Amino acid sequence: MSFTLTDKERFLINFEGQDFSKEGKNFIKVRELALEYLKESDFPTTKDELWKYTSVNSLLKEGFKPQTSINNPHIDAHKIAGLDAYQMVFINGFFAPLFSDVQEDELGDFFLMNINEAKVKRGQFMEQYFGVLAKAKFGAFNALNAAYSQDGVYLHVQPGKKVDKPIHLLFLNEGTNVAVQPRNLIVIGKNASAELLISFDTIDTDNALTNVISEYVVMDGGQLTVNKLQYENDSTYHVSTDSVYQHKNSVFHINTFPLSGKMIRNNLHIQLDGQNAEAKLFGLNYVNGKEHFDNHTFVEHIKPNCLSTELYKSVVNDNGVSVFNGKIKVHVDAQKTLAYQSNKNIITHDDAKAYSKPELEIYADDVKCSHGSTTGQFDEEAVFYLRARGIKESSARKLLLNAFAGEVLDKVENGVVREFIEKKIERKLN
Amino acid sequence: MLKIKGLKASINGKAILKGLNLEVKPGEVHAIMGPNGSGKSTLASVLAGKEEYEVTGGSVTFRGKDLLDLSPEARAGEGLFMAFQYPVEIPGVSNINFIKTAVNEVREYNKMPPLETKEFMKLLKDKQALVELDGKLANRSLNEGFSGGEKKRNEIFQMAMLNPVLGILDETDSGLDIDALRIVANGVNQLKNKNNAFVVITHYQRLLDYIVPDFVHVLYDGKIVKTGDKKLALELEKKGYDWITKELV
Repeated sequence: MSFTLTDKERFLINFEGQDFSKEGKNFIKVRELALEYLKESDFPTTKDELWKYTSVNSLLKEGFKPQTSINNPHIDAHKIAGLDAYQMVFINGFFAPLFSDVQEDELGDFFLMNINEAKVKRGQFMEQYFGVLAKAKFGAFNALNAAYSQDGVYLHVQPGKKVDKPIHLLFLNEGTNVAVQPRNLIVIGKNASAELLISFDTIDTDNALTNVISEYVVMDGGQLTVNKLQYENDSTYHVSTDSVYQHKNSVFHINTFPLSGKMIRNNLHIQLDGQNAEAKLFGLNYVNGKEHFDNHTFVEHIKPNCLSTELYKSVVNDNGVSVFNGKIKVHVDAQKTLAYQSNKNIITHDDAKAYSKPELEIYADDVKCSHGSTTGQFDEEAVFYLRARGIKESSARKLLLNAFAGEVLDKVENGVVREFIEKKIERKLN
Repeated sequence: MLKIKGLKASINGKAILKGLNLEVKPGEVHAIMGPNGSGKSTLASVLAGKEEYEVTGGSVTFRGKDLLDLSPEARAGEGLFMAFQYPVEIPGVSNINFIKTAVNEVREYNKMPPLETKEFMKLLKDKQALVELDGKLANRSLNEGFSGGEKKRNEIFQMAMLNPVLGILDETDSGLDIDALRIVANGVNQLKNKNNAFVVITHYQRLLDYIVPDFVHVLYDGKIVKTGDKKLALELEKKGYDWITKELV
């Protein structure tokens, strides 16, 4: 008698045998529940509405395997030059204390440590948030991370405190066929504030999967800015889930830059569950070659008087694919909601594709919501105008591309970070 | 420097220019006037190098080169400048970055090194003053949110920066109030010298009170049907275009 494994079974088998037994019982329970869910559920297919334009078929056929330990490679080349920041480095999902600035003093303004350490030292505090926003049952990738995540960042900014420098979370991949699953929890206390730079980079890999979850809780009057930069190499699949819960008067601002990778899928879910909370979501896909970048956003206005502003742009070259799906749901109590969403795409090649799907679901009657989506080619009138002033066609197109991207880049207030992104884009332009 | 011979052009298969002749020499100012639909805008577009227009006959020589064979950027490099009737708004490209790129690309075309920042800034200040352009506009996006007058002054400012051999003003006076008109005209007059030339395309005579032409041409049904001096413009203003069309019949 013989039997064959399905793609899913063969994919999952590599994850088995990791030892999490040292974790607290409640955290082990989270993993067990996730595992149960993972066994019962399937990975998405293009028949699922939320994955219509992004297939994970080829991803599941690859044999990714989590590593069990890491060495300490040279990471200097992967730091962001000129950035003055607290740094937390993870290699293949494992914490690299040698390169990291841990803050675990009870009397300090904030706690910053790897989440495995926090499960021990801050377990009780953490349990009320961990896995609450990005539930395992939301999908197989969520469950995969919940069951098998290796480590990640824990940040808790104490009430009324401001982290004096940006915090740079640097996730690096190394090796062949590695599966990397970071898991982060960020809690911004009442009237506290912080700026995060989360970047995903490759040391040297052939085939990698990054499947990351970050949960963010922003308390009353708290402020959090996140710049998320994805620039792993072109053999890397990246699935990313950011789940945000906002209390009243809080501000959450995220700029997302998928810059390189084989496939990038971002799921961003924001719940505005306190009055006068504000969410700002900006993103820029710059797609070359056969890259496939997909941004799914879901903003829920749950309480009245909240504001969300969303702008995602993409430039799609060659055979690239860009996907934007932005859903706004205004719950029945969320009167006086202001929700603005816009998606703009430029296609520079006949084989390039941009899919755009705005969705509005409104159950309150006194709201202002707008959404718009445009997909087009260059403004040829503008190209001509520049050429008529003596500017070469190639330079004219470059100027216009930079101008198009500039609207999103302008949202990055940190000059060093902005310059870093500009250089990455510049490199893709040439 | 510019010789147009028997120029014929059409758009979407419709013939607009039907054998136009014009010669412009250094130091001259030519005015081209004509009723709506006579082909004024088409002439400007063909000279600037807009691809939608198809040249079906005739020739245009500019400083000894076949102008129609040159790309729009090469025409600018050779010293042709078109002040557009409807300057395009380009969000995200700052005025200053744009003009710096343009100046240096034209210099590169002419095998000259790029301007040093200091030289460039001096040139910028001088030319802004020439057309009374607010320095704050330099950092704004190109033409975005500019008033009608600011856009036209910006065109003349760009012309001053690029210092062309031949400047063509395509209905620059349309939508300008009298103050802006005077500023624009003053800019052109200061740029005028014995080595360059201007072609002023206009529907009305009033701009010609300020930029005094050596020749006035009447364009009608795709051809120049009458040429005179500045008095012709005044006559057109008084009597309209009807008498010319009647004269032709």
